[in-house]
Formats: sequence, C-alpha cells, structure tokens
Amino acid sequence: MILGNICSCSSDDEETDTEKPTITVNYAEGFPKSCTVLQKGNPYIIKVKAADNVALASYAIDIHHNFDHHTHDDQGAQCTLDPIKTPKSPMIFMENYPIKGEVKQYEITQSITIPEGIDAGDYHCQISVIDVTGWQSRTSIDIKIQ
Amino acid sequence: MIQRSIHIICLLFCLTAYSQDLYSVKIKVVDKDTNTPLVGAHISINNKHTVTNTEGDFYFKNILAQEYTLSITHIGYKPYHTTIEIPLFAANIIAIEANQSVLEEVIVSGDTNQKRIQKSSLSKLEVKKDFLEQNRENSLMQTLKKIPGVSSISIGSGQSKPVIRGLGFNRVVVVENGIKHEAQQWATDHGLEIDQYNVEELEITKGASSLLYGSDAIAGVIAIKSGKLLAKNSFSGEVHLTGRSNNDLFGVSAGIKKRYDNWYYKARITHQNYGDYKVPTDQIYYENYVFNLHKNYLRNTAGQNYDISSSIGYVSDHFQSETIITNVNAKSGFFANAHGLEVRTSQIDYDANNRDIDLPHHKVNHLKIINNSKITLPDHTLILEVGYQNNHREEHSEPVPHGYMPTPSSTKERRFIKNTYSINVKDHIHAFDTHKIALGINAEYQNNTIGGWGFLIPEYNRLTIGAFAYDQYKITDSFYLEGGLRYDYGTVHTKPYYEWFDSPITNSDGTITQERRQRSSKTNLEFGSYSASVGISYLKKNSSYKLNLGKSFRIPLASELASDGVNYHMYRYEEGSIDLKPENSYQIDGELNATINNFEIQLNPFVNYFENYIYLNPTPAYYETLQRYQYTQSEVFRYGGELTALYTPSPAFSLSASLEYVYSKQLSGDKKNFTLPFSPPLSTIFSAKYNINSWWFFKKTSVFSDLRITAKQNDIVPPERPTDGFSLLNFGVQTETHLFSQKHPLQIQCSVNNVLDKKIFDHTSFYRLIQVPEPGRNVSISILQKF
Repeated sequence: MILGNICSCSSDDEETDTEKPTITVNYAEGFPKSCTVLQKGNPYIIKVKAADNVALASYAIDIHHNFDHHTHDDQGAQCTLDPIKTPKSPMIFMENYPIKGEVKQYEITQSITIPEGIDAGDYHCQISVIDVTGWQSRTSIDIKIQ
Repeated sequence: MIQRSIHIICLLFCLTAYSQDLYSVKIKVVDKDTNTPLVGAHISINNKHTVTNTEGDFYFKNILAQEYTLSITHIGYKPYHTTIEIPLFAANIIAIEANQSVLEEVIVSGDTNQKRIQKSSLSKLEVKKDFLEQNRENSLMQTLKKIPGVSSISIGSGQSKPVIRGLGFNRVVVVENGIKHEAQQWATDHGLEIDQYNVEELEITKGASSLLYGSDAIAGVIAIKSGKLLAKNSFSGEVHLTGRSNNDLFGVSAGIKKRYDNWYYKARITHQNYGDYKVPTDQIYYENYVFNLHKNYLRNTAGQNYDISSSIGYVSDHFQSETIITNVNAKSGFFANAHGLEVRTSQIDYDANNRDIDLPHHKVNHLKIINNSKITLPDHTLILEVGYQNNHREEHSEPVPHGYMPTPSSTKERRFIKNTYSINVKDHIHAFDTHKIALGINAEYQNNTIGGWGFLIPEYNRLTIGAFAYDQYKITDSFYLEGGLRYDYGTVHTKPYYEWFDSPITNSDGTITQERRQRSSKTNLEFGSYSASVGISYLKKNSSYKLNLGKSFRIPLASELASDGVNYHMYRYEEGSIDLKPENSYQIDGELNATINNFEIQLNPFVNYFENYIYLNPTPAYYETLQRYQYTQSEVFRYGGELTALYTPSPAFSLSASLEYVYSKQLSGDKKNFTLPFSPPLSTIFSAKYNINSWWFFKKTSVFSDLRITAKQNDIVPPERPTDGFSLLNFGVQTETHLFSQKHPLQIQCSVNNVLDKKIFDHTSFYRLIQVPEPGRNVSISILQKF
C-alpha cells in the first residue's frame, strides 16, 4: 500500500530522451566514403549528415593512422590495406565543434587541408556526434593518404 | 543444605575469609534437540549478565555461594528460568528448547540456528555453505545472484562485483573476517578477488549500514565470516572438484582444519582454470561492426586463479585469537574484438587456442593478513580486528597510439598497487538485562600508487577514522528498539600526474608549445560525516515486523575527485570534480514476515533518497574528439524491494518464488528524470526442490530447478541500450554415496544452466554494452569428499 502510493506520487510524465543521434556519409555528397584516397597538400570538405530526435550538440573529427591495422571501417567496405609499418610523422587531426541552435538536422561541412610532409598510408577518419542529452553516435571510415 | 554447610565452613574461619569465599561458574548452553552449543545467548543471575561464547559457554567469576535465579534468553528459544545454588555440583550443561513458533529468517538456506538476526531492525540474511554448494557459479557474486535483492555486475565468465538493490561498486561493503575488503572497487572491469571455496558462511545486510561499517556501506554489507570452530582434538578436511562445459573449467579446492585443545589451524588451496566461454550466437553486432565468433567462443575470455589461505588460532574460556593469511592470484583475458568499448583488430591469432590468455588481459594479486581477537570479560566482550591488504592489479593491452600519444613501448596500460591498513576496536557491553550496547572505533589508511601508460586515477593516500555507539533495547521479549550514532573524519591526498608524452598547448598569445600535460594536481581534502540508524523489530508468534531508518555516507573516491584523462577502456574522457561532497543517503527499510502452516511469505520494501549521488555524467561535449564524462552530484530517489514466498507442502518438497524490483530516478542535475547506470530490471525466480528417498547406492538425493524471468529494461542512461526481457531455466541434481567412507559420503552435484541455450542479455553485465550475450548452456559437475 505504502509502496503503491509512493509509486503513484513519483511517477510523472517527464519523459527522458533515450534515442541516439544518427550519422551517415551514405548520400551522394557524403565525404569521405570508404577507401577514398586523399592527396597530400590538397584541401577537402568533409560532409556528413547528422540527425537527432531532440537536438544535436557537438561533433568531432578525428583522423589518425592505421599503420598497425588496429581497427577497421564500420561502413561494411573492405579496403586494401598497405603492409603494417612504423609511423614516423603521421597526420593527427583532432578537432571538436559545437552545433549551435539546438537543431535536429545538421550537415557537417568541414574544410580540411592534408598537410605536406606527413606519412602516407592507411588512415581512419572518425566522425562523432553527440546530442544535447549526451547520447553519442560514431562512424569510422578507412581512407588512404598519398 | 549446601548453603548451610558453606555457612558453617565460613563460620569456622574468620570474617574476612567469609567475604573471600567466592566461586566461579562455567555452564554450557545447548539446543535441546540438536545438542549444538548456542552462541550469544543472554544469561543473567540476579543482577549479573553475560553472553555465551563461541563454544556456548558462559562464566561468572567471584560470586558468592548462595541460591541464584538463572535466566537464559536466546532469540528463537523459549526463555529458561531456574534456580541454581553456588557452588554448583550438578552437570554444567543446560539444554534449552527452540521456540518453534518463531519464524525461520533464512529462506534461502533454510537454516534454523541463526535467529539472532531477527532482533536486528535491518533486513539481514544468512547464507550457509549448502546454499553456496548448490548454487555454485564461477565466482562468489554469481553464486549469490539468486538471492532476492542481490545481483552482480560481471565482466566475462569469471569476474563479478556485488550489487545490492541496484547499487554496486563503492556503495556495497564486502567484509571478510571483520575487515573491509579493499581492492579497486570503483572499476567495472574486474571481480571481487575472494576465493569462494573459502567462504563457509556469510551474512548479507540490505540497507543503510554505515553505522557499523563507516563510509561506503550505503546499499548494504556482505560479511564473510570464518566458519564454526571444530570440536576439541578433531580434524576435518575436504576435497572439491569442479568441471564446467561452457568455458571448459576445471577447479580443485582442498581444505583442512585441525583443532587441539586450545590451538587450531586451517588451510586451503584452490585453483581454477577456464577457457573462453561460449555464447549462443556466432555473430555480435556492435554499433556498425560485426564480430564473427569462432565456434561460438567469446575470444580471449579464458582465465585462471590460484588462491591459498591459512590461519592459526587460539581459543580459551575468555580469549580467542585467529590470524588469517589469504592470497588470491588471478589472471583473465578480455574479449578481444573490443578493448572496453573501442573496437580493435589484432594480428594475434586468438582462435588458435581457447585456453590461452592473450592481450588484452588483467592480472591481480590480493594479499591479506588479518588478526581477530576477542576477550570475554564478565560484562564486556572486547573485539580487536587488525588487517593489512595489498592489492596489485595490472591491465595489459596491445599498445596503440591515440591522439597525441605515440605508440607506448609496453603492454602495461595500467597498474594499481593499493595498500590498506585497518583497525577496528569494539566493546560489546552486556552488563544490562535490557540493553545490548556496542561501542567502537574504526580506522583505515590507504595508499594507492599507479603505473602504466594509461592514466585514469591519481595516486593518493586516504585516511578515515570513525567512532560509533549502538544500543539494542529490549522493551519486551518480542519487541526491540535499536539505534546508533557515528561520526567519521577522512582525508584524501591526491598526488600530481603528468603525461609521459607531449601535447600541443595553445598559449594566451596564440603561440603553440609542446608540453607534458598535467592530469591531476596535488590536493589535500578533508571530509566529515555522521551516520545514524534507528529501528524496531517486533516478533509475534507467526509473524515478525521490522522497520529501520538509516543515514549512510560515502567519501568521494580519488577518481571521482581528481580524474582527468582518457579512459581508453571506455573510449571516453573522464573528468573529476574536486568540490564533491560526501554522498549522503537516507533510507527506510521494512520487513514483514508471516507464516501460515507450511507457507511463509516475506516482504522487504525500501525507500531511499540521496542528497547528492555522485554520478559520472555523459556531457554533450567533446575533449580531443572523445566524449567528455564529468563527475557531478545529483539528488536521487529510489524505491523497491523484494517479495519472497516459500511453500513446503512436505519435508521432501519445497517451492519458492521471489520478486525483486528497483526504481531509481535522478531528481536534479543534467540527467534529471533519468535512472542510474546498470539499473537491474524487474526480476522473478521460481524454484522447486524435491528430495528423493535413497535409491540404489545413492542417498539423500534431491533435484532442483529454477526459472528466472526478467522484464525488459527500458530505463537507461547513455551509453546503455534497452535490454529485452528473458526467461532462463536451470536444473540440477545432487546426491551422495558412501563410496570411500561410511562417515563421510561422497557428495555429487550436476547442474545445467541455461538449459535451453537461449541467447539473452543481462542489463547489468559490462559486456552488454558491446552487445555480448550471456553464456550459453553450461553443464557443471562438482564432487565433494570430506574426510
């Protein structure tokens, strides 16, 4: 009885957000797609679509080498990897960006120039997005830099 | 007559001799039916009081020769009154009769001896060796999962941590031989580091227990006790063999006990070795990844442990002392396709052998040296417990560069060495007829050092000192009031930590320099907190009632205060908050127990409020492309309870059903209206046990089965996923046969877990986060021979 009363008092209609945002490069302008080859010194525009049921909060782009084959693409593609090698001066790109305006749909459009003088080889491009609640979605794409 | 003759003797001597004519009395109190000694029975002769010791004996010293009224009261027994004449010439054993109308507290073990816990206003239950034998799983906490209100957070097949009503980690205290077990309790990815074969009995308290145990005992206490003393000049031993099909486990545990007149010793050695465990699926889908499993093996989850323990003790009429040394050494692998939550590929050929332990893995060694001493004085029992613990844990993984961190040079990702020194001094006062008073002081000092290339928690020193006073007031024979107050003072000193590699830092003038970043700073923090408890217990002929209100607390951990770094295992950035206050929790616990003929029912509801629950909040922000998690405090409201029913239509047959439920909700902060991590879903267990008469050369055979039905868990916090409900069927048979000895039969048990080989997910398993199901069908056989 007591327990029942507490139940009825404390239950309210304040619903919680239990949905993760979505993230995709699988559309015509989406970039980079799996196994894309990028050239040193060239500028590129990363384009990824994100969506959420409540609102998006921030996104991150992380490009790091996969010379040791430590992980793989989650796009379902099997790219041909170069042999394992020791990094000398690999490219490290780690940037975070807020998504302003509490939007439900957002297209990440991020310019990036591949520096000269970095190690060529297999890289990962990981793009992550978090919604206002704290739910995160990620995608990881195998790319090559020449 | 005797009295008169003493008078005459006294008259023959001088007056001073008369006053010196004092006698000692020693009487043993036993159960009338079983003849077993009764421990802790309350004795009074005229206005002097005492309690029986571990042998069931009580003493009165320096009493005058005359006639006395002797009263013996013991919970669960009919009060016994008699007149005795001192000096005593009759046999010094008194048998008292059990009060059959008093309920058996312990549903799970069906034990009749421990009625002491009925007087406590907190919900306690005693778990005996036969329950442990029948329900034995890979680890102690998995064995205890069947108890309503108790669950575990597991990683893999061999490791799990205790959870009481949805709270785990540092909110449950595990006490072994009186000393708080101190490992790296805050971490999700390892187990308890206790040899489960070395546990003979344990007591579980559900509810606010800081009063007696200090910081951390918010959700409850699991107290592992040293077993009963052997009879004088006797020896016993046992060998235990176990085999399991699912993870190809074999285990052996052998123990001996010997008692001379006063001295005794015990020793045990345990070894378990297991392979990768099998899950009823050949593919695991995690986020966008697909892991193909080789022959259903969850690759690299094999493990092993070597445990030894020995103790030496001395027992006499007024003094008992035991020194216990235990060492638990374990190594086990982690699922290789994900390092924590991060997906990994590797050049290691994991599938070549299902028994090898490759990377990633962890290894741990936990050494404990404990001394328990007890001095029984006429009106006091003094208890001194001293302990030293050394916990050395290492986590190894394939070195992989991350962010600005280059590839580390070794596999040693983390190392923790924690030394803990503890002392408890307690005085149980039984000088009063109606009051049982206990006073105590506890102190604990911890020193934690770290190593390895991954930083998660800083090095720290922590000191806690607390003092308490407790009184149990007997209002009538069936009505008890208890309460107590405690104050604790604590200090936490965290040490600075700098990364071992350079990261680019943008200065205020816009220039970029390479620096070794500081991840934790030197801090000296002080905490003070009080605990209190008040409760009643009312015992009627066929029912009993308990109500307790308690306030408990927990001093923030060094990781909660001063973390500042990437948790590679969880693939997130964790940030502590230096201004966290001690967690304060207020809880009301109730218990209602009723028996009608052979039907018994028990309800244990609770309501709990946290002023400032420490919560690792997943924020909507990034730090170097990893999600930022920050320790914050929020108000939390929880309620729930357990309902159990036991029906015993005949001595040969018993049926039981239990239900457990916890609701948690954050009332403030960023995650207002959300639940807490790893919230256990609504769950029920139906069990049946049937004892078969002797058949062929098998004696005492019983078959048992239980069905667990768990509801879907939709109440989640990031990064959890909702977990579907399931039903899980287990079956077992146990028997014994006099193969080697007439006195000690060979006990054989065979059980099948997950009989239907169902693919289910346990919401409170760490691997649930990466979509790994629970183990598939498992057949286990265990053989126990005592000698």
